[in-house]
Amino acid sequence: MYKYALRRLLLAVPVLLLSSLIVFGLMRIMPGDALTLLMGESGNISERDLAKVRKQLRLDLPYHEQYALWLWQMVSFSPGDSLFTGEPITTSLKKAVPVTIELAALAMVLGIVIAVPIGVISATRQDSTADYAGRVVAVSGLSIPDFWLGTLVITFAALWFHWIPPVGYTSLWVDPWRNLQQFLLPAAVLGFRLAAATMRMTRSTVLEVLREDYVRTAWAKGLAGRIVVYKHALKNALIPVVTIIGGQLGVLLAGTVVVETIFALPGMGRLTVEAILYRDYPVVQTNVMLVAGTLVTLNLLVDLSYAWLDPRIRYS
Amino acid sequence: MRGSTRASGTAERVSTVTARVATLQDEVPPPSVEISRTRALAHALRRQPLGAFSAALIVVIVLTAIFADVLSPYDPLETRPEIRLTRPAWDHPFGTDDIGRDVLSRVIHGARISLWVGLLAVGIGTAAGMVIGLLCGYCEGRLDLIFQRVMDAIQAIPGLMLALAIVSVLRPNTTNAMIAIAIVIIPGNSRIVRGAVMSAKQNRYVEAAQAIGCQHPRIILSHILPNVTAPILIIASIWLGNAILIEATLSFLGVGTQPPTPSWGLMLSSTGRAFMEQAPWLAVFPGLAISLSVLAFNLFGDTLRDAWDPKLRNAR
Repeated sequence: MYKYALRRLLLAVPVLLLSSLIVFGLMRIMPGDALTLLMGESGNISERDLAKVRKQLRLDLPYHEQYALWLWQMVSFSPGDSLFTGEPITTSLKKAVPVTIELAALAMVLGIVIAVPIGVISATRQDSTADYAGRVVAVSGLSIPDFWLGTLVITFAALWFHWIPPVGYTSLWVDPWRNLQQFLLPAAVLGFRLAAATMRMTRSTVLEVLREDYVRTAWAKGLAGRIVVYKHALKNALIPVVTIIGGQLGVLLAGTVVVETIFALPGMGRLTVEAILYRDYPVVQTNVMLVAGTLVTLNLLVDLSYAWLDPRIRYS
Repeated sequence: MRGSTRASGTAERVSTVTARVATLQDEVPPPSVEISRTRALAHALRRQPLGAFSAALIVVIVLTAIFADVLSPYDPLETRPEIRLTRPAWDHPFGTDDIGRDVLSRVIHGARISLWVGLLAVGIGTAAGMVIGLLCGYCEGRLDLIFQRVMDAIQAIPGLMLALAIVSVLRPNTTNAMIAIAIVIIPGNSRIVRGAVMSAKQNRYVEAAQAIGCQHPRIILSHILPNVTAPILIIASIWLGNAILIEATLSFLGVGTQPPTPSWGLMLSSTGRAFMEQAPWLAVFPGLAISLSVLAFNLFGDTLRDAWDPKLRNAR
């Protein structure tokens, strides 16, 4: 198990290095460089001043040195300053990361809490009205765009209940009630898609497991239905479900980009979109790398969790 | 003794017959793949009403996109401020927007953009993924190792975030959004094709082709490629829905299709959100168009999978 974890960890390093190369390369294939673009768009600036600023930002170095410098900055948690606001990127991240973590965590909890029971009910009552209703909700969840659902939720909450979520961000520790009001709707919108994918997978794997011999034996022994489903079937059915949840982490993190923009939450997603719109490339490359690193780590944890769910899995 | 001789004689005959059948199976040309696939699809469409519904919906969307100029009652770019924000009525079934443009005409023309971007992005992404997957699966070894790590690195970055970064680098417009979506699609497609190629390589007819000295390109194109077209088409149909969703999201975030071109995502972000309480129809109809299109392609992808790849049925 430890060997496996170590091997996976070592495999993650080249993947992250390649991701960093892709991100760095992307930011460097802009026509001209980012600074020319930024300054050129903002007004007239002399070539001399441009060279001065370029030197300050180390954009005059050869690409490989720029890359090495950026990697070092990333590893030492000092990714530099924003080109647009001049604020250190770490300061912006310190404000934005907790918002995104809270949003993603709440969405994930909501998604799983809704999806697993509905998936189980759908499977145990196959082809019933409840099953059809669950499947329609699941397919809709995969088809309805986050930004449309978010827009509709805000619109109809305002039209029907004369209520809109409080704007801005209040920390959970400062005012939990206001924080919940701010996060509940965005988390529900974000969790809906995750719930849809999880629901479909739970249904199909529970259906498969319920046809296994050991489940038939459990029924034959006269065990209560709840025990057969939840104790015997569900645990084995959970492995593909964990896989699909792991696979959805990327979708979830990408979803925060849209949901945070709609609900005006100052998280990582919104920070990235703003940086992209203002072509603030140090912020873009830092944020994208941070998300990639988080995703690789989370996927590693998901892989490791299989061992806990299924003792048959031997990683050695 | 006599009995054992008889038994061994029977076993010999059985093994001879088995070998003959196996040889015959290899020799007899399989029924036309295309005809059997079309039949399988027709059967699945008859058996699954939702599949038939999705196919009909796709036909409607495609026809709408092709005949948009004929079907739309007004010019989608024509502004008539005197009838701005008109409620849905007989003259304007989907109402008008903030500068008096007919929403129905814009939704109809939006189908063209969405489908065009979706088809081209999926076409490019699938073709590139197929080439990489074929090469990796057939050659294996170092080439496979290198390509797979690059694919891992691309997949480590959430699709939407990668697309956003690419579009920001290339400048926001419809073509660049399409390129970005294609790049996002490549890794997943290459993985599926690679797996299918590795499995097809184990077939005896491929071994036989190698043994009689067929050239590699011929083996790949004549013997392996026909076996991997089903997974490619299935995944392409599912990706088409996702591509439409990503294009709409990019346009919604302001980095996809640019105004005044009618795009579903753009319609939602520009006027849909700004006037959502005053004129909810501006948000409802484009969103409905996106959801129905994505739903149609998702359901159709499921039906294709059921028809052509029974092994994957439980993956739903």
